Amino acid sequence: MTTALEALLRCVAVLVVFLTFPLVIGQTEHKVMAHMQGRLGPMYAGGFHGWAQLVADGVKFAQKEDIVPAGADRRIFQLAPAVALLPYLLVLIAIPVGPGGFVGQALDAGLFFVLAVMGIGVLGSLMAGWASANKFSLLGGVRSAAQLLAYELPMLLAAASVAMAAGTVSLTGILGAFHWWWVPWQIVGGFVFFTSGLAELQRPPFDMPVADSEIIFGAYTEYTGLRFALFLLSEYAGILVLCALTAVLFLGGWHGPLSADLGWLWTLLKTFALAFVVIWLRVTYPRLREDQLMRFAWTFLIPLALAQLALTGIVKVVIS
Amino acid sequence: MTAALAASLSSQGHSFLSPTGVEIVFVLVGLAVLGAAVLTVSTSQLVHAALWLVVALGGLAIEYLLLTAEFIAWVQVLIYLGSVVVLVLFGLMLTRAPIGRSPDADSGNRWVALGLAVVAAGTLVTLVVDAFRCTWMDLPASGSTSVNGSTQANGEVLFRYWVLPFEALSVLLLAALVGAIVLSRRHREEG
Amino acid sequence: MPPLPSGSVGPTGHTEHTGHTGQSHQRGSGHSGRSGGSGGFPGRGLAKGLAVTLRTMTRRSVTDQYPDAQPELPPRSRGVIALLEENCTVCMLCARECPDWCIYIDSHKETLPAAEPNARARTRNVLDRFAIDFSLCMYCGICIEVCPFDALFWSPEFEYAETDILELTHEREKLREWMWTVPPPPALDPAAEEPKEIAAARKAADKLAAADAAAEAAAAAAQESAGTTPPPGGEEPAP
Repeated sequence: MTTALEALLRCVAVLVVFLTFPLVIGQTEHKVMAHMQGRLGPMYAGGFHGWAQLVADGVKFAQKEDIVPAGADRRIFQLAPAVALLPYLLVLIAIPVGPGGFVGQALDAGLFFVLAVMGIGVLGSLMAGWASANKFSLLGGVRSAAQLLAYELPMLLAAASVAMAAGTVSLTGILGAFHWWWVPWQIVGGFVFFTSGLAELQRPPFDMPVADSEIIFGAYTEYTGLRFALFLLSEYAGILVLCALTAVLFLGGWHGPLSADLGWLWTLLKTFALAFVVIWLRVTYPRLREDQLMRFAWTFLIPLALAQLALTGIVKVVIS
Repeated sequence: MTAALAASLSSQGHSFLSPTGVEIVFVLVGLAVLGAAVLTVSTSQLVHAALWLVVALGGLAIEYLLLTAEFIAWVQVLIYLGSVVVLVLFGLMLTRAPIGRSPDADSGNRWVALGLAVVAAGTLVTLVVDAFRCTWMDLPASGSTSVNGSTQANGEVLFRYWVLPFEALSVLLLAALVGAIVLSRRHREEG
Repeated sequence: MPPLPSGSVGPTGHTEHTGHTGQSHQRGSGHSGRSGGSGGFPGRGLAKGLAVTLRTMTRRSVTDQYPDAQPELPPRSRGVIALLEENCTVCMLCARECPDWCIYIDSHKETLPAAEPNARARTRNVLDRFAIDFSLCMYCGICIEVCPFDALFWSPEFEYAETDILELTHEREKLREWMWTVPPPPALDPAAEEPKEIAAARKAADKLAAADAAAEAAAAAAQESAGTTPPPGGEEPAP
């Protein structure tokens, strides 16, 4: 019974993290983006520097009418936000936060699980794009699919490099085998992983699928109210997952001074530092053109990932 | 014969008559997969067929999980759900994916196809049943490292006993890749 | 595959690509983003862009939190037009020059009786109505420029939104009220030329002062000459 209770507690904890951390990231994005553009950002909601802005947004979204276009494929249209959101919740379960079983559920093939389930999220925007019966949505869906196909490969290759270095595909195992000199060793892989993860999340500068000046809001054009909010939440949950994963795989997760007691703090710090970088990139760079996007993946990231893989292999053979 | 078989089975602690929870779930998921598969081929909406395929393939991943083949399950999700179905949907959307029924989705050969499918399924089922008949494999509790379906076990088997087929397959895939490049290159020169 | 724009096609696809993204964030140095054209490393433009945003983040933001804090408006802000009706002669120049025709002026002539028996009777324009419709006004300021008698002024007040558009037609009294919000003219630049009005006024004042001085001098001279030969009456005794 205690194991069942513990499992329940862990699931609740993951759910709480899933519902709060993306909001924290979203609020940080509001403020950081504003200050990077010489503005203040939200200042009213909640009183102190607009800390409750996203709560207010949530209330607003909940009040809006939930519209399904007349020509849409009703059931798929309504199902799509859940398909987009749930994978990230599942992924969070497997990400280790601290040493000694501080993880929702340790998985033997955790790395594969995480990458596999993250890929499913795109199915949600594909479904949304097709079911909306709107040409802009369809274009957005097709663009997401093309982007996923292009960037999944470098992401997997970069992740495989870490798995090779650690000799395991379990996330806790990878962290257990971590040494500080892995950071410079795997830095190229980390760059490739993070960049292609950004592209998979459709974050600027890789946000062609939702390019507002061309196709309105891509696959989410027809969505209103809570379903739209779910898509937005999935984007920020995606940032959380990507940053946590990059921190775990390439920056050593809980490793740092006093990691026995404060390991979880290190993971959180690294995750939020990376989230800041995500926001920073969004503010700084303009959107890529579709052909630049594809060229970047196939001619730059994939060769880099392969080079990293070769380097990892050579070093691994030399030191063993 | 049957009685003897049942007796031998029950003496080993296995019985079809007192299934464990995992086995019940296995059968239920299997039925769901079967239903999704039937819907995949019978629905007349193209994109719905692809999405039912997602359900069927995902169900198969769950079956693998129930058999403690964790690695295979996630690879199934990664390759089939994350890439193949997305590719299928991408292709559909690029060419034609009307909302609603496609009147030409029904083929005149449906009965022939059904017959063929039944024959193929029958062959496969007979083969599998005949090959494994009464073999029971103990599935250790998940969490221990020496699970039959663990990543390590898979890797060892794959690269120790099945290296040749593995490499042959990769050569086959490489050939397909080169073929695709050659085809697309010729196409561009014409255009 | 459709032909790509030549800008993005090159033997080194990725460096070209990074150059492109970086370029749009560099001010006035179009060549340096391209593959480190001015002796930089590839992606230098990208790094520069990141530095720009990070630097901006550390500076104070320029936002005025308006409803909580009044903005500091520059002295020549165009908020609302004020009327100093004492100066208005109903010359109608403002109404005629207004591109939107949003100034309404009504007046009548009044005949003043002649001051002297032989003089002509004078007429005078009396203002009956002066109104500006701020729902039409486009704040060009031409009326203020053309007013020959300094009857119209810019006031920086801008909080006069109304729920009814008719309320935006400000009548004479309201326009006069705005006059109290007109700031004094800003100080001149250190080496600025003297304004014409002040120059004219000074000229007149100088003239007057010179005349006064001359008169005083004349009086003093007269007194002096009188002093040498005091009148026989002498000084009157103090009361």
